[in-house]
Amino acid sequence: IINNHYEEIDAPSAEEDSDKEDQDLDKMFGAWLGELDKLTQSLDDGRPEQSPQQKAPLRQETNMANFSYRFSIYNINEALNQGENVDLDALMADLCSIEQELSTINTKPNSAGGMARLGLTDTKVHTHTHACTQISHSYLDRETSLILRNIAGKPTHLLTKEEQAAKLKAENIRVALEKIKEAQVKKLVIRVHLSDESSKTMMVDERQTVRQVLDSLLEKSHCGYSPDWSLVETINELQMERIFEDHENLVENLLNWTRDSQNRLMFTERIEKYALFKNPQNYLLGRKETCEMAERNKEALLEECFGGSSVSVPEMEGVLWLKEDGKKSWKKRYFLLRASGIYYVPKGKAKASRDLVCFLQLDHVNVYHGQDYKSKYKAPTDYCMVLKHPQIQKKSQYIKYLCCDDVRTLQQWINSIRIAKYGKQLYINFQEAMRRTEAAYDWSSLSSSSIKSGSSSSSLPESQSNHSSQSDSGVSEMTSAGHTRSQSVVSSIFSDAWRRGTQGEGRMPVPLCAGGGGSGG
Amino acid sequence: MAAWDLSVTVEDLGPDTPPVTLSVTSDLHVGGVILKLVEKTQIKRDWSDHALWWEQKQRWLLRTAWTLEKYGIHADARLVFMPQHKPLKLGLPNGITLRLRACFSNPVFQTVIGICRMLNIRHPEELSLLRPLEEKKKKKDKDSTVEIYDLTEVPLSSVSRPCLYNGMPAHFADSPQMEAIYKMLSVTQPPPAPEVIAKQYRPASVVDKAHINGRWLDSSRCLMQQGIQENDKLWLRFKYFAFYDIEPKYDVVRLTQLYEQARWAILLEDIDCTEEEMMLFGALQYHISKVSQSEPQLLSSSAAMDDLESALQSLEVKMEGESSSASEIVMVELSRVTVCFRPKRLTLKGYKQYWFKFQDTSISYFKSKEESIGEPIQQINLKGCEVAPDVNMAAQKFLIRLLIPAPEGMNEVYLRCENEQQYAQWMAACRLASKGKSLADSSYQSEIQSIHSFLAMQKTNSGSHGNAAASDESINTHSLVSPRYHKKYKAKQLTPRILDAYQNVAQFSLTEAVMRFLQIWQALPDFGLSYVVVRFKGSRKDEVLGIAPNRLIRIDLGVGDVVKTWRYNNMKQWNVNWDIKQMAIEFEGNVNIAFSCVTADCKIVHEFIGGYIFMSTRSREKSDTLNEELFHKLTGGHEAL
Repeated sequence: IINNHYEEIDAPSAEEDSDKEDQDLDKMFGAWLGELDKLTQSLDDGRPEQSPQQKAPLRQETNMANFSYRFSIYNINEALNQGENVDLDALMADLCSIEQELSTINTKPNSAGGMARLGLTDTKVHTHTHACTQISHSYLDRETSLILRNIAGKPTHLLTKEEQAAKLKAENIRVALEKIKEAQVKKLVIRVHLSDESSKTMMVDERQTVRQVLDSLLEKSHCGYSPDWSLVETINELQMERIFEDHENLVENLLNWTRDSQNRLMFTERIEKYALFKNPQNYLLGRKETCEMAERNKEALLEECFGGSSVSVPEMEGVLWLKEDGKKSWKKRYFLLRASGIYYVPKGKAKASRDLVCFLQLDHVNVYHGQDYKSKYKAPTDYCMVLKHPQIQKKSQYIKYLCCDDVRTLQQWINSIRIAKYGKQLYINFQEAMRRTEAAYDWSSLSSSSIKSGSSSSSLPESQSNHSSQSDSGVSEMTSAGHTRSQSVVSSIFSDAWRRGTQGEGRMPVPLCAGGGGSGG
Repeated sequence: MAAWDLSVTVEDLGPDTPPVTLSVTSDLHVGGVILKLVEKTQIKRDWSDHALWWEQKQRWLLRTAWTLEKYGIHADARLVFMPQHKPLKLGLPNGITLRLRACFSNPVFQTVIGICRMLNIRHPEELSLLRPLEEKKKKKDKDSTVEIYDLTEVPLSSVSRPCLYNGMPAHFADSPQMEAIYKMLSVTQPPPAPEVIAKQYRPASVVDKAHINGRWLDSSRCLMQQGIQENDKLWLRFKYFAFYDIEPKYDVVRLTQLYEQARWAILLEDIDCTEEEMMLFGALQYHISKVSQSEPQLLSSSAAMDDLESALQSLEVKMEGESSSASEIVMVELSRVTVCFRPKRLTLKGYKQYWFKFQDTSISYFKSKEESIGEPIQQINLKGCEVAPDVNMAAQKFLIRLLIPAPEGMNEVYLRCENEQQYAQWMAACRLASKGKSLADSSYQSEIQSIHSFLAMQKTNSGSHGNAAASDESINTHSLVSPRYHKKYKAKQLTPRILDAYQNVAQFSLTEAVMRFLQIWQALPDFGLSYVVVRFKGSRKDEVLGIAPNRLIRIDLGVGDVVKTWRYNNMKQWNVNWDIKQMAIEFEGNVNIAFSCVTADCKIVHEFIGGYIFMSTRSREKSDTLNEELFHKLTGGHEAL
């Protein structure tokens, strides 16, 4: 992907000179680029043993910065059009933190020096690959690696001096490598839109997961923790959106956007993000109607579905409307979801497994929520889902559109596909989100300064114990809290359809009474 | 108290020897009877495993402190004095038959525990014994007698405490023969010949599948009570499809046998799957058989890699790959193919020749080699793209189909290679690139190898038909799929399909591949369902009850659809009326169901349900101790003491 964009982005700037606005922006934000250049340069200058070959990866780093800056143009552009102020202060704070990061490398003489000794400077550098992998590959001489291989698994006290030295050496190098990798990491300037039409500019690390970005957004915006906070990708051109999963890599996803993209990244609360785990009975049991379930039973159900070694995909099947390729007509088909993909029943056949036709496999596609397709594509209803490769950004025959009869069916399908695609990871994400929320509630009574110092946990024994004891009942509390929070249009339609009755506490009976009936004794 | 004569048959004296007659009184306890008996036979040997079996009442007299009176034994009683452990022929999931000594006096549940301990299978509660299907007596097949591997010499005492030696139980380390048997238990079998699959019994309907469940033995009664004789044949199978705490390090035999059972369930269409899934199962079987031949020890090796060590090694591999500047060499090699961008409408058939370069994860192409130093006509990054083979060895067609995602949609590109060698290299490179790896990656060579070996398979298939030796590199693809696909596809048509699925699994280690196979099996919609034909109360027709690890389902035989699901979570209690063989189950919300069992004894159904509830009570903390009492409480029921 990188290379691809790389070419695309570097070359066209000459062609598109006619775009005057673009040029102006170039000038305006050349300053940023300069900043980044300086920062990367500081890494250069700080190193005592500098070899000419090492310039190459740094040049690339500069290009990456260039790239990020290019990438951000759209966002800034839009901000200007909207007459808003770009949050330069926030950006500068992010930049400062990078600078700090970079300077830490130089203050560790141990690691940088060690590297030079090991012949790092002999490394041949290709311009085409990532700098970090290049540096890493020949840092160990054969002897050392042989020793290391021999001592694998041996307890430390049994090692000879030589072996210990080798191990130490390896450890030092590893630390140093981490530092370098850190320095080579791409940063991206992104703009995040809030539901009140305002927006925030921030810098993200290419390695950051959606969860990490959400955490830092939540910390900055003081909007109160809830597991429902989501990063939503909206693809305007295709009128569709998708909630990024917490474990996904944000930058990787954003790199799929084209330069002239009208896409947006929204930071908003979405009740449907984790509705699956709050009312699992409505998604996992394959029932046609919503129902209530006691909290304990919900937990048992989730444990049953996600706790085992394999995750079973909910039994989803039924008639859906499929948009025909290139046409505005929709035809009905009987679809079934299996762990291996989405299938349909061919005409005139029964739904025996062996006769099913594979509609698509889920490895390469994501599921999106199509918006307002009744008017856009003459869909039978507005409850549409879209399956497409994340890189596809424009109308294409490779995008598949499916339409459901009601919102409930749509949500069941979308969530079941998520389960089929991500399995246990989804549940882990939810549990992690709940943990953050609970932690935030624990700390809310403390002053903000003590939160920072206490996050290493040892100084907060009380909240720690609270934390663990709450996890049993915490789920139910959070559920109701989630219901009362503000909701987007979609989610409010959705939640209205789902919220019914009261949440009565039931008992969960494990039948201990074995049949003793007739002749029993 | 008056003395009377008790006659006891001593089995060890042979069938022709008349019973030994003892003079006893009613207040003599069983231990005393045995003592008298042994003295009278005057044979010096270890009698400790022997006990008395009361033939008329079909029960063992195991309580030696009980008197004859308490047992209700009179002069007319026919007693047999015999060992409690007798040889049994045991068919394993992998098709191998063992002969071993099993306990004939304890409940089958314990017999299975003993067997599993001997074979080193953890969590014996998931397995049970069943009567095998009658083999059709074909005179022709008489010469092909099944080989039986003997384990009867294993001393019973040594089995009581599993103690591992060289990664296997000590009793398997005694001799090379024993070691060979252990290998048979712990290494997957080569794919069966297609004829073998075709010859096996295959259930054709849900009702057929239901019949097999009538064969399970009763876990709460002993083998003798169920009419099992010395040297009879039984099958050992996983019965409860709730596999707890699978740990490849300790579960070598368990995993292997589980894989074999799953594989046969797929091959014999005991469980339904789609064509795509069948191809994936086929690809995994191929991979597993190939890898288990080359690295048979991996599954049992317990040396956990140190974190640092593994990190270093992977770095090292990278280093080796790059320091020999493999990428440079390969780049030159991978330079001559013809290519064609598939025209929108298939009017043009021709392929145009270009000079191609493979670099990192991208391909670039040029008009000619001379121009390859300049700007390429186009550069395509393959990361994230789909790679599919389109190969016909006979026609010497070597196409690589690339589906490359782009903002506008997927670009379809065909690369045509000139020969097998070139194809294997480019195919391997494309596959790696689609995963974001460059040619310098350590797996490049092995990827090329696996493509070659797969192509070889297609070659042999089109040549001589099917008689490939099992150990041979080439496997008949018909060995990897159910007979349905033998009819549907010729072997050479099947190969590219399996190859297609194979590219996603080729990099798995043996353990990973086996685990993946089991995962996909467990993700099938019908997984874990055991069927029984039942008659619901008030209904006039037979229906099928499906028993799953977490629920019961009711299947309408006419439509074949699931009409109702009940989950154990909502179950309040259940009762069995043994006289009218009816089960009544009560669920929350005043839901009551009752049915009588048609194809299986209601004890079997009762045991299935109770067994699954037992399985769900196992938790990580007490994984070491099996709560046998609870199992019997949940599954026993009618056992009058």
